[in-house]
Amino acid sequence: MEDYPEEIRTPPVTLVSIVGHQDLHATISTHLHSEQPPINTLALPDFSKISVIAKTPKEKENQLPSSFTSSGILKRDWLSKHRTRVPAVVAALFDSDQLSGDPALWQQVCTDIENLKAVIKGRNIKLVVVVVVRFNSRDFITEERMVALRKRAELEAKYVLTFIPDDASELNQSLNRLGGIFAELAVNFYRDEGRRVKMRLEKKNYSSIEFNIRYCFKVAIYAEFRRDWVEALRMYEDGYHALREMIGTSTRLPAIQRLVEIKAVAEQLHFKISTLLLHGGKVVEAIRWFRQHNSTYRKVTGPPEVNFLHWEWLSRQFLVFAELLESSNATMQTGSSPPLGWEFRPAYYYQLAAQYLKEKKTCVEITLSMPDSIPESDDTSDSIVPSVYIGQFVRLLDLGDTSVMQLITDEDYICYTVTEAKKSHNSTEIIALLKKSYEAYTDSKSHRSASLCRLLMAKEHFNSTDYTTAKLHLDKLTALYRQEGWVTLLWDALGYLRECSRNLNSAPDFISYSLEMAALPLPPLSPPPTTTTHHNPAGPLSLQQVQVIHKQVFEIVREEYSGEVKVDAENPVHLEIDLVSPLRVVLLTCVAFHEQMVKPYAPTLVTVSILSQLPSPVEIDQLEVQFNQSECNFIIVNDRRRDKSAITNVHPDRRVETVPVLELFTNKWLRLTYDVKSVNSGKLECTYVIARIGPNFSICCGAESPANMTDLPLWKFEDRFEASPTKDPAIAFSGMKVTQVEEPDPQVDLVLGSVGPALVGENFILPVTLNSKGHSVFSGELKINLVDTRGVGLLSPREAENSSADNLHVELLGVSESESELDSDSVQKFQNSFGLVPVPDLDVGDSWSCNLEIRWHRPKPIMLYVSLGYSPVSGSPKVHVHKSLQIEGKTPVVISHRLMLPFRRDPLLLSRIKRSSDSGQPASLPVNETSILVVSTTNCTEVPLRLLSMTVDPDDNLKSGNHSSGQHPGHPILLPGEEFKKVFAVKPESNLTKLKMGSVCLLWRRDSKSSKEVVTKQTLPDLNVEFPPLIVSLECPPHGILGQPFTYFARVHNQTKLLQEIKFSLSDSQSFVLSGPHNDTTFVLPLSEHILSYKLVPLSSGSLQLPRVTITSVRYTAGFQPTVAASTIFVFPSKPQFQLELESRKDSGSGSGSGSGEEIAV
Amino acid sequence: MIVCIAVVGHQNNPLYIQSFTEADDALKLHHIVHCSLDVVDERVNNPKKSGPMINETFLGLLYPTENYKVYGYLTNTKVKFILVTTDLDVRDADVRNFFRRFHSAYLDAVSNPFHVPGKKITSKTFAERVSNIVKSVSFNTAG
Repeated sequence: MEDYPEEIRTPPVTLVSIVGHQDLHATISTHLHSEQPPINTLALPDFSKISVIAKTPKEKENQLPSSFTSSGILKRDWLSKHRTRVPAVVAALFDSDQLSGDPALWQQVCTDIENLKAVIKGRNIKLVVVVVVRFNSRDFITEERMVALRKRAELEAKYVLTFIPDDASELNQSLNRLGGIFAELAVNFYRDEGRRVKMRLEKKNYSSIEFNIRYCFKVAIYAEFRRDWVEALRMYEDGYHALREMIGTSTRLPAIQRLVEIKAVAEQLHFKISTLLLHGGKVVEAIRWFRQHNSTYRKVTGPPEVNFLHWEWLSRQFLVFAELLESSNATMQTGSSPPLGWEFRPAYYYQLAAQYLKEKKTCVEITLSMPDSIPESDDTSDSIVPSVYIGQFVRLLDLGDTSVMQLITDEDYICYTVTEAKKSHNSTEIIALLKKSYEAYTDSKSHRSASLCRLLMAKEHFNSTDYTTAKLHLDKLTALYRQEGWVTLLWDALGYLRECSRNLNSAPDFISYSLEMAALPLPPLSPPPTTTTHHNPAGPLSLQQVQVIHKQVFEIVREEYSGEVKVDAENPVHLEIDLVSPLRVVLLTCVAFHEQMVKPYAPTLVTVSILSQLPSPVEIDQLEVQFNQSECNFIIVNDRRRDKSAITNVHPDRRVETVPVLELFTNKWLRLTYDVKSVNSGKLECTYVIARIGPNFSICCGAESPANMTDLPLWKFEDRFEASPTKDPAIAFSGMKVTQVEEPDPQVDLVLGSVGPALVGENFILPVTLNSKGHSVFSGELKINLVDTRGVGLLSPREAENSSADNLHVELLGVSESESELDSDSVQKFQNSFGLVPVPDLDVGDSWSCNLEIRWHRPKPIMLYVSLGYSPVSGSPKVHVHKSLQIEGKTPVVISHRLMLPFRRDPLLLSRIKRSSDSGQPASLPVNETSILVVSTTNCTEVPLRLLSMTVDPDDNLKSGNHSSGQHPGHPILLPGEEFKKVFAVKPESNLTKLKMGSVCLLWRRDSKSSKEVVTKQTLPDLNVEFPPLIVSLECPPHGILGQPFTYFARVHNQTKLLQEIKFSLSDSQSFVLSGPHNDTTFVLPLSEHILSYKLVPLSSGSLQLPRVTITSVRYTAGFQPTVAASTIFVFPSKPQFQLELESRKDSGSGSGSGSGEEIAV
Repeated sequence: MIVCIAVVGHQNNPLYIQSFTEADDALKLHHIVHCSLDVVDERVNNPKKSGPMINETFLGLLYPTENYKVYGYLTNTKVKFILVTTDLDVRDADVRNFFRRFHSAYLDAVSNPFHVPGKKITSKTFAERVSNIVKSVSFNTAG
């Protein structure tokens, strides 16, 4: 598009001219240029210069020699003339001083106007007269002068303006007025001009079809000047169609030049039409128009010797349209997505432009290759220049001081164009077009089309012997073809790549491209190539051709072939094939260990399988198998070629295996199985298999596991037989190139001494013993881990939230060595459930032991894992021994308690009356009364426990009693299931409502000398303390004797300061005769006592029920009736004989009823 | 005249590609088929909003080249058929009809128990049948 002159590319702009008053020109030009639509200004400083806009005298043409008889269709400079030299309006600027006053000045004005009128008359240019007036002298100008001026200029009143330059607002008004007049007159001018030409067109008032086209063009341009796009488009189309009819009918010029001219004009008209359509947003119409234009002129190639001109022309059509489309897409790309159709893409047109330019290049080459194409001397074509008509060329004859143009013959013209074509750089242009197309396709994510453009670019680079760039492009696009399996396209690209590397003399590249080409799958139903005109340097893709390539490459690597590409001792070639390499099709190595776990020093089988898709058998000289443990590496040597290959870089004690022949056939696994011994434990992995062919060529393949081998690229789409890499299908399915070498068997015993269940609270000691049987122990280490048997760790999820040391149910406290004192320096790391203990170095036969201390806070079974890691020899890999033991944690004792009131003494506790039953609320104790607390403890374990002491620790904020006296002199043994009871007296002395009883503290140990004391604490529940208003106590002797009377008192003590009314009644008993009051109501005085006394005589012996006294307090509506036990007495038949010593002390260790009394004051 | 017909698999790999020209331009036709896959991708990824296109297997004219027209067809198993013809004035109905016949030939070929899905179609019967279909079809409205 840049080839076109600027006046064609941009829409025409109105031109006006201003004459005189040069100081105002800049102001006026700037203003007019910023008008909408803009107006260009042709500023003439004074009236002597007006001849530039005058019509050129026609006589000039007559000076040409008679050989210049023909005219053309369009003049090259017609449009530029109208845009730069022929104004639509001329404005004559006069100063007001010139009008008034001096007649000489006025005369000058008149002369100037006359001259101007004479000049513009031929062109019908509109005239405007502007009188420049100073702001303060604007009233001096007389009306009659203005009328005279108007008459002189023969203008209407409105075309004679005043212009006031020295006042801002007036200046602005003047400029606007001027702009408006100019725009109006310009439209008139272009309309009149257009109408004038159109008239001729309508009357068919023209001599030849060329004029028809020229008139159409002119009318269209005039329409464009006044922005009538519809009219312009219609006239351009008319001209275009008229031009189409000229082909074959016109005989004006020699045939070739005639066609060239027609095409040049068609190009210009088409360009105008396309621009108008695209600017109007009619993309679809523009494309349709382009398609029509293309189909009209495609076939019009002209004679074969100049058809390159046609291709060049066609290429330019596409390029220009692509550029137009691109710029219109860029401006329209607001919001809407690009249209889907391929024809809407500039990339498509760029690509075709490149394609046609390539055609042109080919044609030029053919033309140049003809022997008589190039003229002997370039003199004839030197002086040929473009003529005044578009698309025409003439010879410029230099006639001394003047030069004339002479028409040329077709032969001269061909000569000229061939010379011009020889100079052009077609390759660069083609590459530039393809690059544009490639970028546009890449932007729209059309990778395949972009790849094609890239391939064409690469071929162009290749043809211009820029092999490095060509190779760069080709290397990038082969990936797509490989991935999508387009073998033919890949073959084409690889053929060029191979040729590039040959020309760049790069042996590794040449060999790898050759190998890849040779290993490509062939099309299944490929017919034999019919023709030999193949553009690809590698020839057509056929079995014959791949075999040729295969043979050639192996001749090179075996150094049996001497060409440009060489492999020798100075240029060794080493190829590497990894998982993503395209050369996997050439050599695929698959390594499988037959066992997943092997013992150290034990041989295991490993199968190396190799597959090649090369078309002919390949013989390998050596195969080196490398492992990550280099001691295992070995080499397989082909016996047949042993002498031909040098064993290089081989460790002297490297294992060498020999096979009679090592040959790979197409698509057939070569399977080799050998045994391997590993000395080190850990991973044993096959890393590489290196195939050596010839003395200086090797291929290093990364070993692959059959279990996770990916498909071969390209070949995966082929319908071929796929054998498994190993004979054993199980190994082929799951075999790996890695095996695990186990560590040697441990020869150290790890013993965890078990002593039954652990008890909560104690420091449970677990002995761990190491006995070395066959190994010394170096840098040994014990790892100890406590794990919940349920496997969720030692914390329940809820408790884990407020995790602290107290919440741990089981805790590893530490390790103590039983025999020697543990060094304080030795590193011991303990967490709550994990410990690390260093083990001293031991010799064979030695043993070492330690004790683990574990404490349970709650009853819980746990799993103890102990593992020993050690080195049998200093520095060697570690050997591990693992042991585990499940340990139960049990509750050792259960502590319970009971509170009792003293025998036959009952304080009235009001809370007991109110409470319906003993639910929930704590028990109440009467203040200042002694109550009895019985604490009993039961051994729940399966081992006897020795009880050391049992105390009640009162709460700290209370006055503590004598709790130090809890030692039991005999340290009673509590057998499993036995119960121990102890009695305490409790006397609340202060009148607190709430009494904290403190906690029971039990000190015990296992019944063995070594075990340590354990304290088990249990908190006693809180009690209420209240003041009893009344206390009823019954008094009677401990026993009675038949027939002997005794006294039975019921005392009612009033502790209040109130008078208490009580009722009492007594029920008779058959066993007794009694005397005393039966029923009555009486009053007890404050802080005094009322005593009911009865005299009783037992009538029978045995355990007898005393007569029951019922006492009712009226004030508290509380009744009292003694319990059955309290009102029972044993009556002896006669007076018994007691041994009093037995009563004073009981054997505390015997039986379940053992206990002792103790008083605590709280 | 139909110059090339191709079956393209899921990974945009050619399963069957056959050209029917005397001239040695197989490579060029392969390039055309390969590039037309860009258009197929685009059509499939940006389906038109209008109703009839939703379940349509026939993709229509893909690619206007200077000398050829390329048509596409997408089966319900996402296998693509690409047709390249030199007839520039073709009715869609004819192309649809051709693709229908071609599709049924393809179905018979892949229904062969010895055919592995996703591999190239190597059946000679299929090749013969395709060549018969191609010979019998004439897109030219004139002829």
